Amino acid sequence: MSASQKARQQPDEDPIAMLADGINVWIGKLGDIVHTIVDRTPIRHVINWGRIYSLWPVNITTACCSAEFGAASGARHDLERFGVLPLGSLRQSDLMVVEGTVTNKMAKRLKMIYDQMAVPRYVIAMGDCSISGGLFHDSYSIVNGVHEFLPVDVYVPGCPPRPEALEQGIIMLQEKIRSSKVYEHT
Amino acid sequence: MTSVVSSEPSESGSQTLTISVGPQHSGSGHMRLIIEMDGDIIIRASPDPGYVHRGTEKIYELRNIIKNIPVIERPAIIDASNLNHAYIRAVEELQGIEAPPRAQYLRCLLNEMNRITSHLYWLSIFGVFLGHTTMFMWPLGDRELIVDLQEKLTGARITHSYIVPGGVRRDLPQGMKEEAIKRTQYLEKRLEEYDKIFFENPIFTARAKGVGKLSRDEAVKLGAVGPALRGSGVDYDVRKDEPYAAYPELDFNVCTRQEGDSYARSMARIDEIRESCKLIRQIVQKIPSGPFRRKAPIVVPRGESYSRVESARGECSVYLIGDGGDKPYRLRFITGSYRNMAIIAPVLIGGHMADMPTAWWSIDYWPVEADR
Amino acid sequence: MTTLTNIPSLEREDHILDQLKEKFGDAIKESRISRRSRPEVTIAMEKMLEVSRFLRDELGFDRANGAGGADYLRDQKMEVIYHVSNLTRKETRDIVLSVKEIIPRSSPKVNSLVSIWPSVENFERETYEMYGITFDGHPHLEKLFLIDNWDGPPPLRKDVRIPTD
Repeated sequence: MSASQKARQQPDEDPIAMLADGINVWIGKLGDIVHTIVDRTPIRHVINWGRIYSLWPVNITTACCSAEFGAASGARHDLERFGVLPLGSLRQSDLMVVEGTVTNKMAKRLKMIYDQMAVPRYVIAMGDCSISGGLFHDSYSIVNGVHEFLPVDVYVPGCPPRPEALEQGIIMLQEKIRSSKVYEHT
Repeated sequence: MTSVVSSEPSESGSQTLTISVGPQHSGSGHMRLIIEMDGDIIIRASPDPGYVHRGTEKIYELRNIIKNIPVIERPAIIDASNLNHAYIRAVEELQGIEAPPRAQYLRCLLNEMNRITSHLYWLSIFGVFLGHTTMFMWPLGDRELIVDLQEKLTGARITHSYIVPGGVRRDLPQGMKEEAIKRTQYLEKRLEEYDKIFFENPIFTARAKGVGKLSRDEAVKLGAVGPALRGSGVDYDVRKDEPYAAYPELDFNVCTRQEGDSYARSMARIDEIRESCKLIRQIVQKIPSGPFRRKAPIVVPRGESYSRVESARGECSVYLIGDGGDKPYRLRFITGSYRNMAIIAPVLIGGHMADMPTAWWSIDYWPVEADR
Repeated sequence: MTTLTNIPSLEREDHILDQLKEKFGDAIKESRISRRSRPEVTIAMEKMLEVSRFLRDELGFDRANGAGGADYLRDQKMEVIYHVSNLTRKETRDIVLSVKEIIPRSSPKVNSLVSIWPSVENFERETYEMYGITFDGHPHLEKLFLIDNWDGPPPLRKDVRIPTD
């Protein structure tokens, strides 16, 4: 049993713990008030505007759609003009682009990586394989669709999708973020 | 996702460190390398593949031979037509048919374009490994020119499904010849610029020369293929040694380098891009007229065939067993990267951890192609 | 145009098979040439190591292009197929010799050839996980691709139906 659990069990005996609990409750209430204010005033638009143009994808490639993701980040299509810069580290990333087939072995790691990312975090399922299994739907070692263990925001179909399709997916995600509430995503 | 496990100190007080690189790593792609280090020196390296293992060899047995074409292509979509070519040659050998000469030339045309796009993609990812943004942007930009040509020829950017039993799917479109000549000449000019910006630049040479040594004997013994083998001084190229399709009638050199380090392997690839540019121009000028497709049955007759082609990452072979049905009874598919998996450890061992990205990526190991 | 249409001269292939038959006699169960530069030989599994050493040292097959298995459910047998070729002599580089051994399906166990051709290490590991064929003398015979991916029976066996069928 950890120290914090002990403290929670015996609040009456420890005035400091009592005080801390009280402060926590008040901070929680204050937080709720702040959330309401932010979501109902133009501050929401400012925060969302910031999120829209700094969608840094995490460096995880699951299968062959990475070739088209690479082409999309390259010179001609240049995803950076949408604020998508694929050079961030795990903790600073906002976006996970699942590039193709997810095997059973990769699925565990993908979930682990998703859990380590900071909120708000968004998922784009790129390619038929990550949407429904695609060409390999009857294989013995793949997960038929990444939605089975991750909440997907945008699906980009294609085998592989063209860079233009990925760009459209990202614009759709930006539209989604624009109209969403600030503290909705956890 | 880099985890560190340190071992207990031994009696002499020395301690080794085990690091796992990948699968979430800016360079490693979809595989994991387990590296054991003594200080900064890598003493043991073992690849952990299987992150993209999609069980394709089982799937081949469930689809008919035409439906198998896309599945064959997916393992290396930036080099799709070469893999497809190996498969179609195996099927055609069993069926006892042969594509008309024009189709053979068109196949070679697409193969060479794929080789260029694959090598340019490799170069741009090398830029990511080295933290060299220009090296990431330039090759990808120039690659699009060839990708456009492929799209014009086949209708798809990278997964063409162009080569089919009995020939190819479409004829050479109008204006393709002039466009191909213009674009390959432009690419050759760009390669000269690349030489100045990248390959003679101390930023690159200091990191690549003398790193990741692989001797000739070791490369042969471990079964290395492709530019990884030719960088060690072996002039082995299936296009020359067992000429297929239109290659016997075309004039090209096999690009080798003697040093066997990262730089040699990289330059072997860059030389290959130049040769492929020449080959493309030869093909569009020499291409004979005539039909581009002939009728082929949709069955795999009883028997066995073994065919191999030189893909961008080395020899790719298909061993096909047919039982008279429309599906392959057994299809053994071994790609260049799968063969080169054996040389990952010898290339890394003895080097510094900081040299790992350069040494490793110079093999051009594409995990999807290896796992299949 | 290609090697298929040339008038086949099969002297080199015949020579290889003749030498093998001369040296090993009964151990060579079957031999044939499917086309130019594709000889094929089936060897008794007990003699496999000896024959391979002879192939490498005397006939110059210094490189294994690949190895794989095949399952014949109807005949209750399995096969392990090695494809070997030569890299040093330029004029015989196009020859790929298929070396087969037939093993009973009930006890799939053969000698590993890693000591002869080190490059077959990964291919034998894959055959082990895909067909359940054990290779004696393999340095580390463990799963290669299927760790975490599949823990059922060896998936490439013909009697294994994959779950989504």
